[in-house]
Amino acid sequence: MISILMGILIAVAVIIVAVFVYFYNSIVVLGNRIDNAWSQIDVQLKKRADLVPNLVETVKGYAKHEKTVFAAVTEARSEWMKATTPADKAKAGNVLAGALKSVFAVAENYPELKASENFKVLQEELSGIENKIAYSRQFYNDAILSYNNTITTIPGIWFAGIMGKTEKKIYLEIKPVEREVVKVSF
Amino acid sequence: MAERLSFYDEIGRNKRNSILLFFVVFALTVFLGYVIGMVYDPSLSLLFVVVAAVLAILQIVNSYYNGDKIVLLSTGAREAPYEKYRFLHNCVEGMAIAAGVPKPKIYVIESKEMNAFATGRDPNHSSIAVTTGLLDNLNRQELEGVIGHEMSHVKNYDIRFALLVAVLVGLIAIVSNIFMRSMWFGGGRSDRDRGNGGAILIIVGVVLAIVAPIIVRLVQLAISRQREFLADASGAELTRYPPGLAAALEKISKINKSDMPVSEAVSHLFFVDPVHTFIDKLTSTHPPIQERIKRLKAM
Repeated sequence: MISILMGILIAVAVIIVAVFVYFYNSIVVLGNRIDNAWSQIDVQLKKRADLVPNLVETVKGYAKHEKTVFAAVTEARSEWMKATTPADKAKAGNVLAGALKSVFAVAENYPELKASENFKVLQEELSGIENKIAYSRQFYNDAILSYNNTITTIPGIWFAGIMGKTEKKIYLEIKPVEREVVKVSF
Repeated sequence: MAERLSFYDEIGRNKRNSILLFFVVFALTVFLGYVIGMVYDPSLSLLFVVVAAVLAILQIVNSYYNGDKIVLLSTGAREAPYEKYRFLHNCVEGMAIAAGVPKPKIYVIESKEMNAFATGRDPNHSSIAVTTGLLDNLNRQELEGVIGHEMSHVKNYDIRFALLVAVLVGLIAIVSNIFMRSMWFGGGRSDRDRGNGGAILIIVGVVLAIVAPIIVRLVQLAISRQREFLADASGAELTRYPPGLAAALEKISKINKSDMPVSEAVSHLFFVDPVHTFIDKLTSTHPPIQERIKRLKAM
């Protein structure tokens, strides 16, 4: 009789430990995914900033007089480089996106520039990067969503309580227009 | 959350099916070795079984690790350099980010037909190939729709199972073919002391030659149709823009006219059916394009 009771007790203990390990691991994995998703966004934002000098150089060759536009975009880039917190980076990134948009708007007035191979490549690179930024934000938001779903529903909420994990805020709104910041027109 | 769970369900199912296929092919090969052994010399049948088992394991391991290269070679795909295919590279990388998988290797097939496929053994070892026809005719949203479809095949391990089907079941067809041919040659020369055995061999060979292509077809059928709808749906979820994929399918249904020079053994890997032979019309591995468009528009 006692041995049966012991057996049941041990079985229950094993199940509890297994469930705990499972939820502990999935909460940690989901949390890591958020960090990873954030660094993905960062990589793409950095690529966009790196594009600026090359772009300015190319456009200058055809449109020397658009000094204000170049100044604005260079300024926006250095602001972005200086930003350290995620919120600052997001803000500076938006400013940079706007400045880049105006560079391409200016380019509309210079047919020779638009026709140049170098410029076409830059245009494609920028559209590609803008898209990747949008997708990395989407993935980031999804990662936060599934993390939050896990730690706010039963039984995840109990484990989150033990582990001291709290809900994360989604602060990257994706505007649908961002997908098509630059229209490539050949 | 439900959607995530279903992705994991898919992955689990594909991994299980892959292992099942391993064992089926292993058992078939060993059985074949046993039959041939019995026919040639019953006292040596154990040796034949051992040899067949070793060959089967070698072949299974080989197709697991090199199957993607074989498939890419057989379709005439060549690697797409970044400098020449920026647009394609950017689209693929974007979808890889959206799906949360590493960027696959990218290949291009020289063809006017519009098509694409993904292959590999898991998301860390995957490749995506598209035809030049596809690149020439689609804009960014449409191409992303097609790549998103392929990316969800990559993410849910469809590529692993489909690849093993292509290589292993294709192998059965080749073996049965060789078997048949060796019968034609062997028949004249050496049936002095195995008249009976020769007859059995011929029967086994004939049955295999007839049955193998039907098996290929059935397995392809079983894995394909539902998966394509699923990949359309989860691909559209990656782009968050079903009309892109629908527009791509619309263009494909207008532009694709002829067949691509690819083997039936790999036809189930493609985005839309690359060949339209007689048997294909009867048992298509792909759902009709119009039906796929209809479902996308209803999303």
